[in-house]
Amino acid sequence: MKVLVIASTNLRRFLRDRANVFFVFIFPILLILVLGASFGGSVVPRLGVLSLDSGELAVDLTHHLDASSDIRVTEFDARDSMVRAVERGELEAGLVIPAGFDSTIRAGDSVDVEFVSSSGIDATAMRTTVESIITQQATLLQAAHFADSEGVAGFAEGLATATALQGQIPSVDVAVTTSGEAFSLSGLGQFDSSAQTQLLLFMFLTSAAGSAALIQTRRYGVARRMISTPTTARTVLVGEGLGRYAVALVQGLFIMLGTWLVFGVNWGDPLGAAAVLIVFGLVGSGAAMLMGALFDNDQQAGGLGVLLGLGLAALGGCMVPLQVFEWISPGLYKVAHITPHAWGMEAFDHMVLDGAGLVGILPYLGILLGYAVVLYGLASWRLQRVLTR
Amino acid sequence: MRRAFTIAAKDTRERIRDRSAIVLGIIAPLGLAAIFSFVFNPIQNFSFHATYAVVNEDGGPASTVFVDQVLGAMQASGTVDVVSVDSVDEARNLVDSGADPFGGGDGIDGAFVFPAGFSDLVQSARPADFEVIINEGNGTAANVAVAVAKSYAGQLDSVRLAVATAEHLGDPVDRLQAGARAASVPQPVDLVDVPAAVKQLGDTTFYAAGLAIFFLFFTVQFGVNGLLEERHAGTLSRLLAAPIPRSMIIVGKMLTAFLLGLVSMIILAVATTLLFGAEWGNPIGVLALILAGIVSAMGIMAIVAGFARTAEQAGTFASIIGVVLGFLGGTFFPIAQAGGLLARLRFLTPHAWFMQGLGDLAGGNLADIIPSVVALLLFGVVTGSVAMLRLRKGLTP
Repeated sequence: MKVLVIASTNLRRFLRDRANVFFVFIFPILLILVLGASFGGSVVPRLGVLSLDSGELAVDLTHHLDASSDIRVTEFDARDSMVRAVERGELEAGLVIPAGFDSTIRAGDSVDVEFVSSSGIDATAMRTTVESIITQQATLLQAAHFADSEGVAGFAEGLATATALQGQIPSVDVAVTTSGEAFSLSGLGQFDSSAQTQLLLFMFLTSAAGSAALIQTRRYGVARRMISTPTTARTVLVGEGLGRYAVALVQGLFIMLGTWLVFGVNWGDPLGAAAVLIVFGLVGSGAAMLMGALFDNDQQAGGLGVLLGLGLAALGGCMVPLQVFEWISPGLYKVAHITPHAWGMEAFDHMVLDGAGLVGILPYLGILLGYAVVLYGLASWRLQRVLTR
Repeated sequence: MRRAFTIAAKDTRERIRDRSAIVLGIIAPLGLAAIFSFVFNPIQNFSFHATYAVVNEDGGPASTVFVDQVLGAMQASGTVDVVSVDSVDEARNLVDSGADPFGGGDGIDGAFVFPAGFSDLVQSARPADFEVIINEGNGTAANVAVAVAKSYAGQLDSVRLAVATAEHLGDPVDRLQAGARAASVPQPVDLVDVPAAVKQLGDTTFYAAGLAIFFLFFTVQFGVNGLLEERHAGTLSRLLAAPIPRSMIIVGKMLTAFLLGLVSMIILAVATTLLFGAEWGNPIGVLALILAGIVSAMGIMAIVAGFARTAEQAGTFASIIGVVLGFLGGTFFPIAQAGGLLARLRFLTPHAWFMQGLGDLAGGNLADIIPSVVALLLFGVVTGSVAMLRLRKGLTP
């Protein structure tokens, strides 16, 4: 019973601090909202279009670009602001349709359209798309040019004839045969990935930074006073650990239920998700206990907690998906699996993308439980000595 | 002023001995920068490259032009490799086995198959088609293959339409020759590449600078909060009883904040450059941005201290404000690229101006950072003056 009293006092002390309430409940949800809204779902490359010509052909080209589902078009009024947006990475590329676009083409000359981009994968893919849209439009223009250069008709008559003929001539088609599976992350909803990663990140971060509370318990003499009453060191230990565990669980449950209700996040099999929550909470609170046992200064422990919480999350695939590690750098992929976060992510991926249930993720739960046992073991060995010193 | 220095020297010594300033000001940001650059460097250094297979059962002009000119041009630019394969089945097997969503692996990312008689069909006005085999798992490389194929089909359509138009208006022509002439009509629209300067920070630099400015607010807070701690410890009354002007006490605390901030920022800039290859840019510009950044951090943290009743409360508010401004200011992820309201809201934070200033410095010259420096100083001066009034009023035993 004493264990529960210690734990509930701990939880109450934690919740009374307004900063904790903010970081535990409000901030994670805000972050999931922001990350999901801006980076979740499929990413469509953005093209800026600056049209300096109001002719029919220029308007037509802009329409064609706009209609493409492969790119998102933003129209600009000034070259400066568009180029700046490209330079700052707010657009993948910018297109300048020059003044006199319409009249030059009608006169039978060719026009340079500028494609402003920084190098990169996105710009490469974007260029190919833009080029194919320009080619589509150029079809009619080229036919008109040809009629003109062959001397059979003027540009205007050629354009009219080509337009009339266009639907009648069968086209050259490209048959696309696909195999394999699309990159697996595309099976995730808009907020799914940000919710899963932030759940693990915050449960661990809050716990690690919360190790300061355990240090305060020791420094303010609360621990010594408890031990001077008929309470064993083991009871104090379990009570403190339970308190930290309660904090991690409350936060995890809040994020899970909150994002499920508000954003419709898919957490996979409910039993499996609950199991990940329960076990990962043990890992987080275990880390908090170990840090609380190792350090004597709560501000230092807080700083190191942030370092560990964010650092392990970055390594463990909470900022860049593990699948990206796997393709880009196998070494990094292996290193990622030193962190408990990676195993938590694997469990969620298995449930959400592959439809695994509780049984399917048992191996991951086992590994996470291993982390918890080791962390708690080390912490209690060290705390036994510190508390009774 | 000498008294202010005495206070600052004593406070700074205390902070360094206590090591918490070192943990928050140097170890945490440096450790995170190390991890982030370890994680993000391989991704940043990754460049697009694709290998495509071609099965040419046709061998006529229509397919040869594609292989020699279209794929040839991509090969010449170094982004694409092309291998010739004998049978469709072999190509299919190669594509099936090589899923690689980001391109760059050695596998075959896609295949183009031109069936026998393709060129004849193209030259007649009958329907014609060729095949692209892609693996959905190949992401960008697969998309590029499809787009290239469609673009070429479009060009063939153009030529066919051109020949048909000429025939319709004039006399029947020799299609092959007319087609060749039509294909050589210059494209009415040429896409000309204009390389843009990169006014963005590389990933390593982005995280080094982002973490530095993020933690700066917490480092500075150590100095600013000194007043509240003196009150808590009961030493404030003694300070007030001493022959020191009140404003000098505040100046002393501010000096501490400034010193801690400056030292930590310079150590971080130098260390991330030497250890992780971060490129902060022109040292004069960087120093100007750092100084202006410290002023803004001091102003904002002083306001927090001014309105808080206890050091604990100040710590609470400071961490909330520091974290929210840091995230909104785009120190952890490039919020500018998110677009929309969020990208505009970020300019309400000094962090965004600091990051933007460094970005502009990377792609431009010293003059480009003036707006950022001015914005940062404004943040500092406005919040700092309000804070000064509050803090002076609060300086009672």
